[in-house]
Parts: sequence; structure tokens; C-alpha cells
Amino acid sequence: MTDRLGSEPMTDRLAQAAQQGVLRLGNRAFPPGQGIVMGIVNRTPDSFFRPAVTWDETAAMERVHQVIADGADIVDVGGIPAAPGAEVDVAEEIRRTAGFIGAIRSTYPDIVISADTWRHETGRAVCEAGADLLNDSWGGHDPLLADVAAEFGAGLVCAHAGRQNPRTRPFRVAYADVMADVLDQVQLLARRALAAGVPSDRIVIDAAHDFGKNTWHSLEVTRRLAEMTATGYPVLVSLSNKDFVGETLNLPPEQRLPGTLAATAICAWHGARIFRVHQVAESRQVIDMVAAIRGDRPPARAVRGLA
Amino acid sequence: MLTAAALCPAPPLLARELTGADPVVPELREACFNAAADLLQSDPDVIAVVAAGEQTRAFGTRGRLDLAAYAPALALGRASVDHASADEASVDSDGACSEGEPLPLPLGLGCRLLDEAGYAGQFALHTVSDAVTAADCAALGARLAATAPRVALLVMADGSARRGLKAPGYLDERSFPFDAQVTEAIRAGDTAALLALDASLARDLMATGRPAWQVLAGALDGQRPDSVISYCDDPFGVAYLVATLWPQHDVIPTSGRERGGDWSGRP
Repeated sequence: MTDRLGSEPMTDRLAQAAQQGVLRLGNRAFPPGQGIVMGIVNRTPDSFFRPAVTWDETAAMERVHQVIADGADIVDVGGIPAAPGAEVDVAEEIRRTAGFIGAIRSTYPDIVISADTWRHETGRAVCEAGADLLNDSWGGHDPLLADVAAEFGAGLVCAHAGRQNPRTRPFRVAYADVMADVLDQVQLLARRALAAGVPSDRIVIDAAHDFGKNTWHSLEVTRRLAEMTATGYPVLVSLSNKDFVGETLNLPPEQRLPGTLAATAICAWHGARIFRVHQVAESRQVIDMVAAIRGDRPPARAVRGLA
Repeated sequence: MLTAAALCPAPPLLARELTGADPVVPELREACFNAAADLLQSDPDVIAVVAAGEQTRAFGTRGRLDLAAYAPALALGRASVDHASADEASVDSDGACSEGEPLPLPLGLGCRLLDEAGYAGQFALHTVSDAVTAADCAALGARLAATAPRVALLVMADGSARRGLKAPGYLDERSFPFDAQVTEAIRAGDTAALLALDASLARDLMATGRPAWQVLAGALDGQRPDSVISYCDDPFGVAYLVATLWPQHDVIPTSGRERGGDWSGRP
């Protein structure tokens, strides 16, 4: 059997798959096969999904309590929407996120805290406040971010943003082979992170669905996600209610949960390990179900036919 | 000569890893473990494990417990329960029954119980077909008891699987008197009552233990043993009975583990 887009047999490529290892984030060690849910908490007035619901700090902390109660292993705090819009400078980004991350840390000493930022200045401030992971969706736009991760012993997400600048929309983006480009870019960033001193068991890769990609591209990287997991790096997917789901099903953000969960199931099947999501409880169920189908996780309780 | 006999059920869920993250029946596993340990205390030369099976035959003593037939994912080696946090009746993959041909499940489970109890001696493994008559079952029991100067017997046998609307075989009211009769016979050490069990009724009730109980009766050779019933319940509509029986020529450990031991309060 050959890969649809190339002559290299799929089985050969996957046969070379590196072993997935333990992923360390904060104090936690996540073995391969354990699905990790990252709950999104936006400190923004203008994110695309349920805008401004956690702009207020009290509401944001309520949201943190909820995602943790729903089974999130990681809380991902962001102060800037991915889409273009009102400028948020470094000082404002830090004002929105660092103090809040400090508050989460004092309430939850052991929860893994991720900060969604591309800027090293923000990275430094959030790490000082207790962040464990720097989630850079913009593909290493600020190369100093890796140095900050290394300095604080934090993890780093190495994402493919199609070499776009932060907060820009894809404009007539084309790839000879989008997955090949993703693999090249994320592995380049991972090597840079290693060279900067980020521990290898704290480096995560992310195809960054919809970043520098049209809907066809995001569907393709979903379909071929096994090629990312075959690198051996833990793979993060951020699919939640995104436009590729919306365009595929012709649905507005608030109706994209089933499509999101379908994409989640496919990525889980292909071995993705971290799932960045808005709807934690629903995602947790899908991820655990797929883990059981894969054979990575036993059923919670099996009795039928065994008594 | 029979030194002691233990009676345990043999549902697949007796294997800790088959019930998933939830141990489901830890008290049943504990009772079975203790019953197996009782056999070791009787200082046998050989422990014979007997269960109902498709054929009447002996099995090699290096057979293997084949749980993948019930949970194929176990063969992947990834989905197993975390044994560090699971209850202590966990897998010992290096046990006497970890290699060789797959054993019928009840024999494999019985071997595992003995492994876990620390038994390192000789095994004799035997299945008995449901077609075998009470007299022939008894003859087999007598023969097994005579294979060595000191023989202990582990009988893997289940009662009716039709003890409720949600039972595997749905409800058959005849289950209650039938299982009560078996339990009473075990309690009283009444071998004649075991030999008188109605094979056809047992078949109707999916009570697969009938031939094995009758092998036990034969091994007891008409003696009235002392017995302790340590588990007697039907959490999933199948009658599970755990007991230890001591022929009266051997001393009974004063374990005081008896609890309940009847079907009182049930229809």
C-alpha cells in the first residue's frame, strides 16, 4: 500500500516510527497512551468562541475550576486571540495573563499550567508566575521564547504556522505537501529547542490546524496525523470549534462540537497525546473511548459476558 | 488420600485484569485466594484442579492461562490495569501456568490462584465433560484422590447463571432451590446430595459446576468433611460459592472466616 501523495510506502514510514516516551510537564509525568486534556481559558474580550466569557477574572477562575473538575490535566491561559484585531502589546498581554497564572498556581499547586503566547517577554513573566508550558502557536516567530523555556525548565510547543506572522490569516496559502512542510518545520523547531536547552521530554509538536492553512490543509494534516506521531515527539492538537470544522460542516462556532469531537477521535486514533479544547468533559470521553479502542486504556469497568 | 478441598467459581472476571480499572469483585478474589491458601496449608504432595470442560481429559501441568481470548487488547500489552494501584490479586506472569498450551479458563484460573498462594508443587489438571454421569464423575474423583499419598483438590465450579432478570441466562426460579441445595450439601459435606444433583436441571440453569461438584463428592469418598463457606453470593446473577472442606482425619485451621454462607433473604 502506498501513501496517496507519494511513492514511499506508508508501512515503511510507520515502521520507522520512533517510540513515544514519557512527557514531563510541571511535576507531572505522562506516559505514552495517556490522553492529556488541555482546557482553554481565554483572558480576552474578543476570542472567536464564546467571546469575553472569561474576560472577567472571577469568571476566568470559575472556568479554571470547571475545566479541572471536568478532567483537564492542563489549563491553557491566553491573552491574545489568534485572529487579527485590536493590538495587544506585551505589557497588556502580561497584565492579562501573568497575575492570573499566579493565582491558578497558588490555588492548584500541581496542575500543569500552559501559557498561549509567542513572545519571550510574556513567556518570562508567565514562567515566573508559575507556568509549566509555553504554547507557541505561531511557529517560533520569536526565537528567544525557546531560551526562556530552557531557562525556566518549562516545556515548549513547536508548531507549524506556515511561516505566517502572528495574528495573520492564511491568504492563498499553498503547499506541495502540507504534511511534509509541517514535519520539516516542527522538527526544525524541536531541534532548536533542544539546542537552546529545553529538555527533550518537555518538547511537544503541533500541526496548528488552521494556522497558515486552509480547511483542505487542516483536513489533510488530520488525516495524516500518524506521520507526526511517528516522529516520537508528543503531538498536541488544537481542533476545538475551529473554522476547518465550521467550513467542513457549514456551521457557526457554537454548533461545532460534534465535528470537533470527530476530529478529536481521529487524532486520538493516530496517537495525538495533548488535546487543547473548550469542551473538556465531552473531549475527555472521546479521548478515553479512543484510548480504549486502541488498547491503550482498559475499560473503566467490564462485567458483561464475564460473570 | 484427600488432605483438603477448595471450591471456587471460575467466571472470567475472577481475573483481575478483565474487569478494567474497577476491581469489581475484590472480596470474591480474596475468598478464592484464601481457599487456595488453605489447600497449601494441608501440605499436599499434589494439588488436583478440576473443572467442567468440553472434554473429559487431563492437561499438561505447564499450561497457560489465556485471557486474550476474553480480552484481545491484553495481548497488546498496553491496556493492562496499573498493578501498582490494583488490588493485590494481580497477575504473576511468571507463575507455573504462564507458558505452554492454553488451558481451559477454569483450570487456568485455578492454577493462578495456587500460584498466587505460593504453591510450587505438583499439579494434576483435569476437565470433565457435562456428559459424564454422576457415578463416573465420582470415580474420577476417587482416582484423583489416590494419585499420591496426600492430594488436595481445587474444584472450580459455578452455580446457576439464571438467578435474576439481568443474569446471563435471564431468570429461572428453579435456580434458587437448586443453588440452595448445592450450598447446603457443601456446608454439610453431604456427598450423597452432591451426587444426586439433577444434571439436566443443572444444564437448564447454566450451572456448569455439576460434574466438578460430583468429582469432589467422589474424592471425599463418602466421608463427611468439615467445611467453611467463605463466599456465597450472586452479584451478577450467577451463583458463586467459595468453600474449603477438610476431611475429618485432618485438622481444621481455626480461621473463623465464615460469613453469611446461605441464600437467606433471597426468593
